[in-house]
Order: sequence, then structure tokens, then C-alpha cells
Amino acid sequence: MSKCSYTLPIGPVHPALKEPTMFKFVMDGEIVKEVDVQPGVNHRGIEFIGMRRNPLQVLHLAERICGICSIVHQYAFTMASEKAAGINDIPERAQYIRTIMAELERIHSHVLWAGVAAHELGFDTLLHWTWKLREDVQDVLEYISGNRVNYAMYYQGGVRRDISPEKIPRIKEMISAYRREFQKLADAFLEDPLFKHRTVNVGVLTKKDALETSAVGPTTRGSGVPKDVRVDQPYGGYADLDLKPCLPEQMGYPNTGDTYAKTVVRILEVGQSLDIIEFCLDNMPPGPIRWEMNVNKVLMHMKKAGGEAIGMTEAPRGEMIHYVRLDPGDENVSAWKVRASTYNNIIAWQKMLVGAQIADVAIVAASIDPCIGCMDRVTVVDGETGKEGVMTKEDFYRLSVRKTRRLRRMKGKPSGGGW
Amino acid sequence: MMEPAEADGKIKRLTGEEIVSLFRERLGDGVVDTRVDVYTNGVRKKPFESVWIRVKRENFRDAVKLLAEVHSPLHISVASGSDIGDEIELIYHFQVYWGMGGGQISVSIGSRCPKSDPRFPSVSDLVPGAIITEREKQEFLGVVMEGIPDGRQLFLSESLPPDVHPWRKDEEELKKLEKYIRNVHDEGV
Amino acid sequence: MMDINDLYVRMLLGVLAMLAAVVVGLAYKGIDRKIAAHMQSRIGPPLRQPFRDISKLMQKETITPDGAVDWIFHGMPVIGLVAALLLVLYIPWGPLSPPLKAHGDLILVLYLLIIPSLAMALGGFSSGSPVAAIGAQREMVMMMSYEFPLAIVILSLAWFYTRVLPGSAPFAFTTMEAAPIWGLVGPIGFIGAVLLLLSLVVVTPSELSKIPFDAPEAETELGGGLMAEYSGRDLAMFYIADAVKGLVMAAIIVGLFFPHPLSPIVEKYYALPLIMDQPVVAWIIDGLFFLFKVFLVLFATVTTVRVAFPRLKIDKISYIYLVPVSLMALAGTLLLYLDTLGGV
Repeated sequence: MSKCSYTLPIGPVHPALKEPTMFKFVMDGEIVKEVDVQPGVNHRGIEFIGMRRNPLQVLHLAERICGICSIVHQYAFTMASEKAAGINDIPERAQYIRTIMAELERIHSHVLWAGVAAHELGFDTLLHWTWKLREDVQDVLEYISGNRVNYAMYYQGGVRRDISPEKIPRIKEMISAYRREFQKLADAFLEDPLFKHRTVNVGVLTKKDALETSAVGPTTRGSGVPKDVRVDQPYGGYADLDLKPCLPEQMGYPNTGDTYAKTVVRILEVGQSLDIIEFCLDNMPPGPIRWEMNVNKVLMHMKKAGGEAIGMTEAPRGEMIHYVRLDPGDENVSAWKVRASTYNNIIAWQKMLVGAQIADVAIVAASIDPCIGCMDRVTVVDGETGKEGVMTKEDFYRLSVRKTRRLRRMKGKPSGGGW
Repeated sequence: MMEPAEADGKIKRLTGEEIVSLFRERLGDGVVDTRVDVYTNGVRKKPFESVWIRVKRENFRDAVKLLAEVHSPLHISVASGSDIGDEIELIYHFQVYWGMGGGQISVSIGSRCPKSDPRFPSVSDLVPGAIITEREKQEFLGVVMEGIPDGRQLFLSESLPPDVHPWRKDEEELKKLEKYIRNVHDEGV
Repeated sequence: MMDINDLYVRMLLGVLAMLAAVVVGLAYKGIDRKIAAHMQSRIGPPLRQPFRDISKLMQKETITPDGAVDWIFHGMPVIGLVAALLLVLYIPWGPLSPPLKAHGDLILVLYLLIIPSLAMALGGFSSGSPVAAIGAQREMVMMMSYEFPLAIVILSLAWFYTRVLPGSAPFAFTTMEAAPIWGLVGPIGFIGAVLLLLSLVVVTPSELSKIPFDAPEAETELGGGLMAEYSGRDLAMFYIADAVKGLVMAAIIVGLFFPHPLSPIVEKYYALPLIMDQPVVAWIIDGLFFLFKVFLVLFATVTTVRVAFPRLKIDKISYIYLVPVSLMALAGTLLLYLDTLGGV
């Protein structure tokens, strides 16, 4: 550490971070010397709550781990709990519908990321343009499931809603619209000289580091490591597709592992997702959409069953794994561990950030597409004294009552006063 | 470190059963229990395997080293942990044969340690990617990872007493934890 | 000696000009935000949003961070605002000549332009926040970079006027107003003048810390940078200073390169006798035309640029000003010099 170094905290709340987490940088001028990631500010104890609920209740909890990649959490939990309970014959139609939903989510997540990346670079025009395009896939998700986020589609033994034949034209229309429009957007990113200047050789994750840190998803694929759960261990409808992991070299860009390479990977994956959705729609097998229509029977089955299993899915951010153990006679999930993609990418993050300029911190941090809500999962709030403290049940009650009184006083007065 | 492309040429790919028998052969009595699950997917009913191996605590590091011989560099997904009465069980979920266009096998190596002596060997030196999950296990389950390069707290707040471990399920721990939990449905909020 | 009545008139005029500059500057900010929003397919805030922002900021608590040097921290917004408002007194406003034209010229304007940026940088350093300190460092680096081409442009123009119109006051806006540069140059000189104009256009967004040259504030990197610790009244003062400075920069470009009035043209082509008789009408026409020119300059140099580009890194900004833009300005100077050779 040189004499002129200083510590720069970024977080827990910072415009560069879309979710709360904490970075401590030891800086030398504009260059990052050391990085420490201190997560936990967004830890909600979801696994703790989950271990006191039955599997059907946890299903909804799992979906609420993250607002962007909600479906992959539900997917992984459904798979893990099905396997643990010995439900192995999931109707093929349900498997295809699950795949379609997961891919629609991937498109929305990647397009969202592209917008965030543009914003981190101070390129707000591109942000608004990208997010306008994202509305298309959001509309389709709403059309199928009735929700824009937290789709509530999955269910142990199948799915809740069918994609009926009359719904297919609307989805296909979206696919062709994306094929038309997305290339323009891709060009706006990849051909832009200033975007290149800000991303090429910025935030490099070498292949060696990617392998050592067990990084996952587009983060590792950008470095040329072909890890993709959809390819390596195909689950659901992916088993019928012969997929290949998307690497930057497919677009003629070397697998350098910089931010540009990661952008290329995500852009390729949007195209791949469109193909997957189209395949699944064209080849959707007929048949039921659930293993057992009666929810109580499913619950009884899970109550009696015992076993452990893991469910792995490829989230938009990379490999996602849920471990579930059910004990016979115990209604609740006995053990539940959620591991989202960002969790494995933290160490890779540290390697990428060392040597970066402050100006690059935002885009490098964003390049792994961090999902802090996924990664952090105890209620600790800054006390009113300004010191950090743990808030107890009584404190919450006190605060709650105080707010109610305040609202009562405010009643009848114009709103807009700060509290 | 071996590159995956080279690994593809050199390595004889084992099936799940073969991995299990390799472990039984090399670790002998160290292996407590094994299981191979096969799951099929899609219209084509394409299978994939999930291997479960439980070993004694003292054999845990050897087991991980052995798995690294099967396919290197090892990919660690996560270490899950749970409180099972008098013991704490940790299961490390690894993946082998990734990046070969299919046929990845999930190998979960589990081991237990008694609550009276919650020490566990760290494997962060063998698999650098394991550090985050090991730090998490330390604070949530109160196990001591022996030889961990960086054992600071990770997710839990510094203001939470260090002897509170949220994932422990025994009465004593729950009592310590109680004042930090808010049961929303009991309060009728 | 100045007549005492004249002094009063000038003071009154000056105060009115300052107030007008604040209102017009904020209005331009509103227009800029609205247009930028439409360009980004958004609806955008209402035009009066900057005024609302100011009134809201004025009501808010003004916080002094721990570890800040109190008097510098609170003094700098005042200095920044005063410097920006002083600028108003030395710039021609269309038909109105500068209220204090006899007491300062372009050299003074160049110095006064530095003060708001310097005040922001000092305020950032004094706040004790590492984020603001980085922002302030960047502001200093940026200033050192863009002041060079800016100085070249102003000095070249002044030198050109001494050469072409010997005996005129080279650093006074009135000289440019009397004889706009486009009428004095030949074809080579014309290209030279265009290059100088372009250099000034590139300097404008960084003088105003706008994207792509907003590295000192860089929301997504530094969370507001040198402005990070400012709140309430202090922030409002910087906000107003920024609005006024934007207006002043545009007025300088208009004053140096496009001082042309509209009323003679209207008079010539429409032959409205009304204008001949009523100087007030000519004033109104020229005034509106001036405001329109300022709008065009701001639209071209700030709004479109900040919509079309991502933020540049500080090392790149420095490079852009010190090498390509300075070379462009020097080339402009050279062409003007060649032009005078041919002309003489």
C-alpha cells in the first residue's frame, strides 16, 4: 500500500448499485488497489423462514427471493423438492411450459441488464430505448401468467397455467418483433466506438481465474469457459434441444473475459432464447400439465416423503442451485439452501475490480449482472441513535404504532410532507 | 491447472456408479454411505446423474482431493448445511464433466461433525471458490472451518452476537435467537 | 468620472440583468430536460421543474458533514453563484450591451468563468468525503484541460481583430458586434473561424459538466461527486450558478460568432415602418432573436450531445482537450493568420 492510498466506500446504497451491498476499495488515485465485498445488508433470512414452512408455501417464498430472476428460483426449488419427494414423472407438456417461461425471463433479464449497463456508462438514451424494447417481453409474460413479475407458474408436479394454442400467435409475434428490433439494439451496443472504449479490456476475468473461482453464467462464458447448466445437465425441455454454450468467439470476438465479451455473450443468448422458445412452441407435446391436480394430495405426498435432492437451473446470471431435504412425517422443509449465481461470482468480482479505475467500477460491478437480493437472504436496521443496532420485535411494534399515530395526525392535511 | 479441452481428451469419463466404486476403493471405511440418483427429462427422456457420497470428517479433504483427480479444476456449486439433532451435516455440491456438451454429474460429498466439537476441515485451499460458502456456514451454523484463509463474518450484521447461529435448530439456540425474530402473523399486522 | 445618476442606472440594470439571467437560465434548463426526455422516448418533467427544484431545495435542511471545513464548505456556493452572476454583467444580451462594458472585457470573462468550477472543486475538497475529493480532483484535471483550447480561441479572435481592424478594442464584445467575423474573412479564414467555433462548442459541455464530460459528478460512479455532500440552500446555489453559467456560455458563443441582429433584415425585407419609428419593437425582435440563438446553441452543444454520448473517462477527456481540440483550435488560428496574409 503506498502512502497516498485511501479508502473509498461504495455502498450500501449507491447509484451505481441497483441493490444494496457494500464495497470497500483501497484506492491509489483513480486506481483500485484492493477490494473487499461486504454483503449482507439485504439479508432477509429467507432460508430461515423457509425451514419453518411446508414445500408449497416455500414455493412462493422462493419466487420472492428475487424480482428479476424469480422464475429460476421457483424452478430450482420445484425440481429439488420434486426429486426429494420422489415425484419424477412430470408431464412433458409442463416441462416445455417451464422451459418457455424460463427463457422468456432470460430475455427480459438480459435486456434489462443491457439497459443498466448503458446507464452505468452514463448513456441514458440507450437505457430508455432498451427498456422500451423490454416491455414487449414483459407484456408476453403478463399475457401468459397474468403477472409482470413473480409469475407463480410452477408447482410441484407441473405448472399452474397452460399455454393454450390460441396464445401461441401472440408469443410468436413477440419473437419476430425481437428478431427484427434486437439486432439494431445489439449494433447500438457492439458497434458504438464509445461503448467499446468503455468496455474492451475493462474488468477482465482471465480464464484461469474464472476456473479457480468457480464463476458461473455469462461471467465465466465471457472468459471462454463453456459452463452452462442447460447444456451440461439438461433439465426439463432443454433435454430435447441440442444447445451449445454461447461464447464470444461465436461472434468473432476473442474470449477475453472483459466487459465487452460478457455483453456479446448476453446478446447471443437473447437470440438463443428466442430459438428455444420457438422450438418449444412448435414441438409442444400434448397431455396434462400437472402430475396431480389436487393440491392437498400433493401436500400429503410431500409430507410423507423423505429424501434430499438438488435442483439446478441456468439462471440469466448463471448456475443456480437449491438443496432441499424433506424428512418423513415432518411437514416442513427440513433443510433448504439457496445458492444464487451472484454468490459464486463474488470472488470473481474481486479479481475483476483490482486494477480498475473508479470510472470503471460501476460497469465492472454491473458486468456480472449482480443480483444482491438473490445472494443475501435477519432484520438489522440502523437504530435511531445513528448507531447500528439490532431491532427487536418491540422496536418494530413501537415504530409501527408511532407511524400510525403520525398518519392519523396527518389525515386531512395535504400529503407530501416527509417523515 | 488443466484446461477443459485437454481434460476432454485425456480423461476417461466415469459413470456415477464408477465414481462411487472409485471412492469406496480409495477411501475404504472412510465412506459411510453412497447413492446414485438418475433423473430423466424431456420427451427424449435424456438422463443425468446425481451422486451422493457421505464420508467421515477426517476423510473429507481426501475425498475432495480424490474428486479433483476425476475432473480438474473442480467446480463447486455450494456447500449446504443443516442441523440434524446432535450433529451438523455439511454437504459440498461439486460438478464434474462440465463444459463437455452434456453429461455433467453432480457429486455431493457430505460429512458430519458433532455439535460438541463443531470443527470442520476447510477446502478453500483446494477449491478457491469455496471461500464464500464456507464463511457463510461458519456464521449460520457455528461450525469452525479449520484452515480457512479469511474467516470474517459475511452476511450477518456485526451487531448480532457472534454466538447466535440462525440455522441451528436446538432449543438453546432458538432461545438466543428469539428476540431477533418477528412473527408477523402472530401480531396480526 | 462617472455620473452619479449613470451609476444608479447601471446598478439597477445590473440587478435586473442578474435576476433575468437566473430566470432565463432555469427556464432553459427546463426546456433542455423536456427535449432530452422526448429524445429518449420519455415524457420528462414539466418545464417549470427547475423552479420547483430550487424552491424545494431552499426549504430543505442544509447539512454540514462531519470533518468538513465549515467556512469553505458553506462559502464556496456563495462564491460560485456570485461569480456566475458577475459574468452576466460583462456579456452582451442581444440588443442590450453589457451593463458594465466599460469596466471589463473578454479577459475578465475568461477568469470569471473559472471561478464557479474552482469553487465547486474547493467545496468538494473541503467536504471531507472521499467521493467528493475524487470528483474535485477530476474537476481540476478537466479545468486544466479545457482552459487551454478555450484560451486559444479567445486569444486568436482578439489577435485577428487587431490585425484586421487596427485600433479597435480586441477584447470587447462591441467590436465583434460591430463587425462579425464572418464578414471579415476570406475562404481560408472562414474555415479557420469554423474550427475555432467548433473548439468552443466542444468546450461548452465540459465547462457546464454535462455528459459526456460529467466525470466530476458522474452519478453512477461517484454518486454526484463533488456535489455529493451538498444539500439544501448550498446545493440550490450551485444549481442556480450552473443554470446561469449555461446561459452565459451560450451567450458568449453567440456574442463572439453570431452577434447579428434580426431587426435590419426584417426592416429591409418587410419594410415595416413601425420598426423605423419605434426602437422598442426592434429591441423586442432582437431580444427574442437573441434568446432563440442562445436556445439553438444550448440545444446543439448540451442537449443533443448529452443524449447521444456515454460518459467519458477522465483520462480520455483530458486527452481530447489537450490534443485534438487544442490542435483544432491552433489550426483555426493558423488559417486565420494565412487569411490575413492574403488579405493584406
